[in-house]
Amino acid sequence: MPSAGSKLLGPMIFWLIVIAVTAIACAALFYAAAGRMVNVTAPESGAATNHFRLLLAGIEADKAAGKIAPAEAEAARGELAREILRAQKDADRQALGDLGRAPLGIGLVAIAALAFGLYTYLGSPDLPSRPLAERADVAARSMDIETAVSRIETQLALTPDDVRGWAVIAPAYVEMGRFGDAADAYRRIMALSGPSAELRTDLAEALLLEAQGAGSDEAMDLLRAAADSDPAHARSRLYLASELTRMGEYAAAVELWQAAIDLSQGNEPWLAAARQGLTVAQNDGVDTAAQQQAEMIGAMVSGLSERLKADGGTIEEWTQLVRSYLVLGDLDSAQASYDAAVSAYPAAFDRGDLDTIALGAGLKLKEDTP
Amino acid sequence: MSIELGHFALILAFAIAVVSAVGGLALWRRGPRLAQVLGQAAILQFVLVALAFLALVQAFVVSDFSLKLAVDNSHSLKPLIFKISGVWGNHEGSLLLWILILVLFGALVAAFGRRLPADLLNLVLGTQSLLTAAFAGFALFTSNPFARLPSAPFEGTDLNPILQDVGLAIHPPLLYAGYVGFSICFSFAIAALISGRIDQAWARWVRPWTMLSWVFLTLGIAMGSYWAYYELGWGGWWFWDPVENASFMPWLAGTALLHSALVMEKRNALKIWTVFLSIITFSLSLLGTFLVRSGILTSVHTFASDPTRGLVILSILAVLIGGAFALFALRAGALRQGGLFAPVSREGALILNNLFLATAVGAILVGTLYPLLLDALTGTTISVGAPFFNLTFGALMAPLLLVLPFGPLLAWKRADLLAAAQRLVGAAALTLFLTILISALGGVSISMAPIGLLLGFWVSFGSVAEVIERSRLGRIPLRDSLRRLIGLPRSIWSTALGHLGLGLTVLGIVSVTAWESERVTTLNPGETTQLAGYSIAFDSFGTVAGPNYMAETGFFTVTAPDGGLANLEAERRIYAASGMPTTEAAIQTYGLSQLYLQLGEPIDDTHVVRIWHKPYILLIWIGALVMSGAGVLSLTDRRLRVGAPRPSARSLPEPAE
Repeated sequence: MPSAGSKLLGPMIFWLIVIAVTAIACAALFYAAAGRMVNVTAPESGAATNHFRLLLAGIEADKAAGKIAPAEAEAARGELAREILRAQKDADRQALGDLGRAPLGIGLVAIAALAFGLYTYLGSPDLPSRPLAERADVAARSMDIETAVSRIETQLALTPDDVRGWAVIAPAYVEMGRFGDAADAYRRIMALSGPSAELRTDLAEALLLEAQGAGSDEAMDLLRAAADSDPAHARSRLYLASELTRMGEYAAAVELWQAAIDLSQGNEPWLAAARQGLTVAQNDGVDTAAQQQAEMIGAMVSGLSERLKADGGTIEEWTQLVRSYLVLGDLDSAQASYDAAVSAYPAAFDRGDLDTIALGAGLKLKEDTP
Repeated sequence: MSIELGHFALILAFAIAVVSAVGGLALWRRGPRLAQVLGQAAILQFVLVALAFLALVQAFVVSDFSLKLAVDNSHSLKPLIFKISGVWGNHEGSLLLWILILVLFGALVAAFGRRLPADLLNLVLGTQSLLTAAFAGFALFTSNPFARLPSAPFEGTDLNPILQDVGLAIHPPLLYAGYVGFSICFSFAIAALISGRIDQAWARWVRPWTMLSWVFLTLGIAMGSYWAYYELGWGGWWFWDPVENASFMPWLAGTALLHSALVMEKRNALKIWTVFLSIITFSLSLLGTFLVRSGILTSVHTFASDPTRGLVILSILAVLIGGAFALFALRAGALRQGGLFAPVSREGALILNNLFLATAVGAILVGTLYPLLLDALTGTTISVGAPFFNLTFGALMAPLLLVLPFGPLLAWKRADLLAAAQRLVGAAALTLFLTILISALGGVSISMAPIGLLLGFWVSFGSVAEVIERSRLGRIPLRDSLRRLIGLPRSIWSTALGHLGLGLTVLGIVSVTAWESERVTTLNPGETTQLAGYSIAFDSFGTVAGPNYMAETGFFTVTAPDGGLANLEAERRIYAASGMPTTEAAIQTYGLSQLYLQLGEPIDDTHVVRIWHKPYILLIWIGALVMSGAGVLSLTDRRLRVGAPRPSARSLPEPAE
């Protein structure tokens, strides 16, 4: 039952099948009791007589074929006769009763009760089957990255020359924070498929991440090699510029930021960051853009705050205000705005997401709210 | 959903078994109507357990890791056949296989037993259901194969690499079919004891069922032995390991049962002894299950050691075996003894056989259980190893093998030993000649070798003596002889073949023990070594990837004494998921002999290579195959024949009783 709509249907069908199976089994037993008797009349003696007839025929056949002498056959027949007499006596002693309806009924009820009782105790009827093949899409969404990585690692232990495997696992390592392993994986890919500007940059990125902001000479060499090998490679230049900025070599950084911006088409997601980096480098490391931006936001927020305090507003606007103060890190103003919002909307039901956001950020709910 | 349906099917089968057991054993006098219900119930149990088993197989095949058993014993990269055989490569699954075979035999009784007396059938099916209920209950409550995991992992931990072999697909099902098949004889014995009579139907039924189980058990043990031989990498084929003993004891008891059932079927004698042996044989099967499953022994067969499980199996064992023997003690006196016979007769020979086999079972039982009991009671750990078993078992088997060829030549009831001896003169002469010849040519490396050869040849030639005698080979034209051979009753053929198989196995054992040669050396690629006339060249060494393992493979070229070339690959594997290493020996067959080559750990860059030459080792397993074939042949014979007492030539026929 893979589809989501069958949440209730699955167990229902399951129980229907289970009830049907039990009913069929009980019916089979019931009709077996009602069925035609094959050996109803004196079963032992009947079967035994038949058995002895076959034995006798065997002796006759042996005699006819000359396998045993007539005297031996006579002795064998005598022995057989004594056997038959004994069997007859046994048969007479055994008078068999019949199976009544009561034991059968009790038995069938016992079977059904025992089976259902025990299954309720032991079974997990709500757990669906999870065959691996059907879990591929689920896996893409929800497979935890560690399981995925360990699967690929297992595979790679067997096929260490599989470039594709390494190419999949390397970014996953980066995502998991295993930068050293990621660097090894990228080295592996470079060894297998040869270096490229892109690969050198990937490796440099892993090394820089591993260095945790402390920089890496090897990474710088790799980035320079990448930028040299491909005059149109923007990413290596971005990393180089950013590292040079961090190291305080603003002249070289400005040059590289500019080079990267010149390479862009105008719609790259990194363009804003590059422009900001350029400004920072041009101002010898002071981030004027960030300062300007913060001032602008501050102005916008205080504008909103004053308007709401004066005229009131929707709960969405209050929520936005609280959120903005939280983003700016101004907890006192956030608390004040939250208190004002609670006063404006005393019923918790009306406040929607606001309480969740505010309390989640550590703000306090006003004491005097009803 | 299929897993849960399988789970429910197993539970429903358990419920039917419980009710059948109570009904069958309490109401057995209620006649044919009850027999029909119980027969239907037996078939239903089989169908339901088979469904449960299929659900488990399906979960393994599609790698459904919401099943705990699949997580613990499977891996999505495993080849399909090992996914399937992995179902029973563990405690819970193998228990379900055990139960599946148990209910299969129950269903067979229900299907073929419609003409059995109703009260006997009630008791047999009731007892069989009791066994099913006990073991299905054990599975459900202490080791449920259908245990689920609410959050399914995405990969399993893989099956023990030693078990990832085609042997796992064959050995356990065969062995279990043998073990569990004896449950039929057990149930018939219990039925006889409760009803207080052993009728002709009982006698007719026990022998074929014993034979069938015995054939499976023989094949199962032989397969297990060959598997251990090629997989474990020690080049040995039998270790007197407690787990091996656990399967060997039911085999010996089953062999005894086979022969006593023969007497009972043909001569209506030895009834009580046969009942006793039936109980003993299945009890030993249960004991074997206990020893392997409880975790008190550590071996490749011990999948999980859990004290509760051991305790529960021990309780089941105590109730079933204790109950059976108590019943025997109470009721055996009420059973009527069968026909009489002279000491020197076919019956007498078969009793001698039973005596030796039963004593051998006793010796092995002591050797297997004594260290365990000593450990449990006093904490002293002793090891009863191969020397003890070789000595005691050998000492018991030697006289048995010596008298074995006489048995089939003796007549029922009263026989002439001298006449039988005369007919064996040719075989004896040939045996003596070959033994002396081989000992002179091959050199006597151990003092027992000629005795072993003597026994092996004696049993082999002695068993075909009767066939040759009856065909009057050499005394009448060849074509007539051949016609006579073909016309011989199948029972004669199966006796001769069965004993010949034993002789071949003995010859194989003696040959390997006495003339095996071994060489342990370090080799580098490019170097060559010699053993027993074979020249072994280490060509190259490389790493090869398997589906779920990495192998370090050594490539060898072997030059046989006759100049034939063979390429061998010996591997050391590391399984990716578990990181466990295994060795894959390279085995090359030359006729009936084998060259066995194993690659050891590399020391620096040189490789330790162990090479064995095993002369005529295949005879060990060929013998087992011949024995099983003889069993199958015997099953095709109707055997509805009363043994004709042969009147003594010297005196008038006496009254039989």
